[in-house]
Amino acid sequence: MPVSDPIALELFKNAIFSIADEMALTVFRTTYSGVLKDNMDYSTGFADANGKLAAQGLTLPGHLGSVPTAMESIMRHFDGDMAEGDVFIMNDPFDGGMHLPDIFVIKPLFHEGERLAFACTVCHHIDVGGRVAGSNASDSTEIYAEGLRIAPMKLYDKGVLNKTIMTFIEKNVRLPVQLFGDLRAQLAACHIGEKQFAELVARHGPEETKFYLNEVIDYAERLTRAAIQELPDGQWSFEDWIDDDGVDYGKPIRLFVTITKKGGHMVVDWTGTNPQVKGAINNTLSFTKAASYTGIRSVLPPGIPNNEGVFRAIEVICPPGTVGNGVLPAACAARGLTGFRMTDCMFGALAMMLPDRVKAAGDGGNTGISIGGYDSARKPFVYVDFTCGAWGARPFADGLDGNSHMFANMASHSIEVTEAEQPIQLLAYEFVADKAGAGKYRGGVPFLRDYKFLETEGMLQVRSDRRDHRPFGLYGGSPGGPSENYLNPDGENRLLPSKLTMTVKGGDIFRHVLAGAGGWGDPLERDPAAVLRDVRNELLSPAKALADYGVVINTSSWTVDIAATELRRAEIAKARGWTEPPKVQWHDPVPLARAAE
Amino acid sequence: MTVTYRVGVDIGGTFTDIVLLGSDGTIHTKKISSSVGNYAQAIVDGLSEVFRETGLDGGAIEEIRHGTTVASNAILEHKGARVGLITTKGFRDVLEIRTLRMPKLYDLAWTKPEPLVERYLRRVVDERVDHAGHVDRALDPADAERAVDALLAEKVEAIAICLLNSFANPAHELMLRDIVARKAPHLPLSVSCEVLPEIKEYERTSTTVINAYVMPIVATYLHALRRGLDGAGIPARLLLMQSNGGLTTDTAAAERPMNIIESGPAGGVVGAQALARAKKLEKIITFDMGGTTAKASMVEDGEVARAQEYAVGAGIMIGSRLLTGAGYTLKVPAIDLAEVGAGGGSHVWIDPGGALQAGPESAGAFPGPVCYDKGGEAPTITDANVLLGYINPGHLVGGAVKLNADKARAVFEEKIAKPLGMTVERAAYGAHLIAASNMIRAIKAVSTERGRDPREFSLFAFGGNGPLFAAGMAAALGIARVIVPPSAGLFSSFGLLYADVEHHYARTFRRLLRQADLGEIDRAWTAMAGQANGQLAEEGFTGTSARLKRSAALHYKGQSYELTVPVPDGPIDARMVTHLEEAFGQEHERTYGHRAGPDEPVELVAIQLVGSGLREGSGVPQNVRPSRVEATGEASRRAWFGDKHGWMETPVVSRADLAEAKTGPLIIDEYDTTCVVPPGARAERDSAGNIVITL
Repeated sequence: MPVSDPIALELFKNAIFSIADEMALTVFRTTYSGVLKDNMDYSTGFADANGKLAAQGLTLPGHLGSVPTAMESIMRHFDGDMAEGDVFIMNDPFDGGMHLPDIFVIKPLFHEGERLAFACTVCHHIDVGGRVAGSNASDSTEIYAEGLRIAPMKLYDKGVLNKTIMTFIEKNVRLPVQLFGDLRAQLAACHIGEKQFAELVARHGPEETKFYLNEVIDYAERLTRAAIQELPDGQWSFEDWIDDDGVDYGKPIRLFVTITKKGGHMVVDWTGTNPQVKGAINNTLSFTKAASYTGIRSVLPPGIPNNEGVFRAIEVICPPGTVGNGVLPAACAARGLTGFRMTDCMFGALAMMLPDRVKAAGDGGNTGISIGGYDSARKPFVYVDFTCGAWGARPFADGLDGNSHMFANMASHSIEVTEAEQPIQLLAYEFVADKAGAGKYRGGVPFLRDYKFLETEGMLQVRSDRRDHRPFGLYGGSPGGPSENYLNPDGENRLLPSKLTMTVKGGDIFRHVLAGAGGWGDPLERDPAAVLRDVRNELLSPAKALADYGVVINTSSWTVDIAATELRRAEIAKARGWTEPPKVQWHDPVPLARAAE
Repeated sequence: MTVTYRVGVDIGGTFTDIVLLGSDGTIHTKKISSSVGNYAQAIVDGLSEVFRETGLDGGAIEEIRHGTTVASNAILEHKGARVGLITTKGFRDVLEIRTLRMPKLYDLAWTKPEPLVERYLRRVVDERVDHAGHVDRALDPADAERAVDALLAEKVEAIAICLLNSFANPAHELMLRDIVARKAPHLPLSVSCEVLPEIKEYERTSTTVINAYVMPIVATYLHALRRGLDGAGIPARLLLMQSNGGLTTDTAAAERPMNIIESGPAGGVVGAQALARAKKLEKIITFDMGGTTAKASMVEDGEVARAQEYAVGAGIMIGSRLLTGAGYTLKVPAIDLAEVGAGGGSHVWIDPGGALQAGPESAGAFPGPVCYDKGGEAPTITDANVLLGYINPGHLVGGAVKLNADKARAVFEEKIAKPLGMTVERAAYGAHLIAASNMIRAIKAVSTERGRDPREFSLFAFGGNGPLFAAGMAAALGIARVIVPPSAGLFSSFGLLYADVEHHYARTFRRLLRQADLGEIDRAWTAMAGQANGQLAEEGFTGTSARLKRSAALHYKGQSYELTVPVPDGPIDARMVTHLEEAFGQEHERTYGHRAGPDEPVELVAIQLVGSGLREGSGVPQNVRPSRVEATGEASRRAWFGDKHGWMETPVVSRADLAEAKTGPLIIDEYDTTCVVPPGARAERDSAGNIVITL
């Protein structure tokens, strides 16, 4: 039995994570679809011989809980029935997967007949069939409508491709060439992982390799526990609401979390969260775990490797049958929303625990917009865009303007590339003034996007939120402004609900405006120079500067009238009569019917 | 025959290195303090001093080649021009929204880099061109005038123009350009259809803005330098190192300063490339390690690997180049360097999980490593190397710096060895290996991550610490040969002497190869060649001294990442299409391990061309004769080579002693670096003065 050596451990850890990253890079470079390439909606990793995650490549935080769950399923089905050359495929949310577009490709790695590890990849595919192009409709009410469900199966059996599976896939998806291209990228990543892992085994020998795969996990656990130890002990709860599920319009969905921290252990308990809903925003438990880990990792020091060891120190509970742990036949295609919002809910609870470190609510996580249909030659097109960008204000700085949500560090698609490849024209992509929540540090400024549809007819699907229940502000900071959807803003300007599926015609313009992020701290304490800068940059109107911040600005000389500002601030302070700033500030929900008035 | 000299000048933060290489192989070097605020003066003063010492005069100088950080510093320190940007209505914030990504996961304190043009200086015009170049909404000249007037009223120091889809139809940008030229003829102006006629609005906007941002400061600097040289009686022409590893004239650099931003690290790589060519080595990995960072790059078939875009001031990304979003995006070809935060000053520490770590925090120049005895309390990699006997405590920089080895040992013992429960040698050796493993990630980034097997390469090591680590790293990677060039510690300025003049051109040209109008592609390349030949002729390169190389960026339709393949001479016809498809398929297979079937449509994304101005011969002299004579301090010293070998009495030799091959362990102490040859490896000096280590 090898003896643990701190130097050998570090060298091994460097090597195994570098292979996991290289697998991620392989997917990045060979992929076809923009979802993978720009949104980096994929992950790679290594599990040990028993399926325990030892190293996850640097990709999507939202996938942090995914590989262990997938591995459990593969072990359940195939332990004892694995051979060199096997490759597993799976996307079933109720048997190890997350939602149908996320296809796992997993390859067991052998050395002289002994299984030592698994190379794992998971990628979001652009379309896996189902009733709506893009396979991410928010208004499906059962999994059976969402697309092709692939139980854990051998895609390759001892190196032989199962053509039946491929044919089934080919006939049930809209863009098989793209799907197969991306599947090849996953296989290439597993191939690279296998090759380099073999070199690692050649260097260390099989016994030492097994030993250090396990050591890397123990090491991450030690680091995580040491870091958790530094946080205060206690219990904190937080509540937030999703507007609705896009099926039962106007019926809010409760998220509720309680964090209990004692010594080097944390429990994240989602008991009290809404029962699962009809609409397709039900999480798998793995996704709820990912949201929980993401929140906690943001208050732990950097450098802790992503693996099983982290998860041992953080227990996540969510009762089955809730929106955070859906059971059959829950629809889950658009569950990204719930993941984002659970992360924000975690931030809320953590802000109660660590007031000087955690941010207020951002724009709510990404809005999903897809437009699909057929061109005049009956060739299908699928355009999928995920976008978000406004961070909640921090106790030490403004919220970020135009920055991805932490849960999914996604990049935007290039407008020009979109226009070259899709029947879409973008008419605007720009910040919107007066929507960021006020505060000593203001919330992030949201942007809008105008999409003009150029084909004859298509199906528009939108999954957005934070229109009724707006992003909360913290410790005196104000909530942000609501998200908005419109059809033909320069014409009929019809206000649309936050989740929708509708037919669009050539020339129609769809506008999405993100919600503004919540502020942090008393707006009257904001540096007037910072208020002036926002006014000058047309991110804040002079009227809002006066009303929210009490700052009087001369817009011809671009100066602050200090005396008038002091006077105005004193009036506001007196009128509101705070004894201390409210910890959390909400805006009363405004249902669509009233907002339209 | 009169000896003429090429001069290489590399400006660093502390020192300006000047190297003169005579046509007969004579080398003179000069190291002087950089004159902060007026770098040009240091160059002129340094050259004047060399003239006094050697009796040379300005007439003997054939050419001055210069690597400068003036432009990158302006960006890092936010000291560039007050720029106004004109863009399409509805897209005022493309520059600031960027790509939405951040380079650090889970970081609540992440701060986005400030946009180089603040929002109130970004003006929009009401116009729209579609992706195919069709004008949806014509630009009203009155609207264009208003935008320009507004920026002029704000007293901007430069203007950048970038409209949506202008790569497909530049008419509106050209209208704006002409208005600016008429209203403010001397104002620096950067127009996207001229500087980067390529698709992707964020990358094009960012690049166009960066170009405008550094135009005034670079022009002022180059003007001052030229005036200084003229004043000192040096009429020689001035060439600037570009980020891509080629030289350009001072005039062209002032017009397109975006090309010289990563001028600094390019010299060493180009020098390595030239020496490798002279040795007929087709594949090398360069490894440049200094005090705080280590950089790797790859040269294959004599060509330096280039990246098509990079981020200025992105800092060092440990381990992964997946995490983008830092710094300022510049879509300009640059030598593809992978950089990690590992250097002599990197801290050695034990993390809360009980693993030994090296870096990325660094002791910097002050207080420096413990052994410098300037108050440094944290053990560093240099301390480990002193403890292991690799660095001579009495001989650093020719004995100018004395090191306190006892103190380094005491600190290492207490802070590292004791807590880990091991001997101080084992702990120091472990730190050395961990630093090496961090740097191996940089080497893998430029080799295995591109499907290249490092075992087929030679490792070319330079920088103050490169030759100390190179042989050990090569062994870990299965690389059989290490090359340490002469004056390895000053190699960045040396490398400048071996570069060629180079101009890069690229244009977005999206066409499915099998459906494209081949004549149109042919004409576009011909026009580009005309542009390159014109530029080269202006610089005195005609006939066989002007060389053009075409390449094409291709992908399978639907992919969003391209691979570049060379395009041979000849007309663009059906045969060429077949050739390109096959070449692309092969490159795809080589890089990613798979390729699609022959029916998968291949799309041309951009056409590219490099125009080079060649000198006669390789430029590498037969006999390099440094004027400095190395004095060895001792005959041997004890050095530790891991548990397997333990302490070994290790001969200390000079480069000259290696005329005959010797077997390690060996240490070669030099003025600017230390080279370690591990037990069993063989080292010898070749005719060009390189140390060649065979493992």
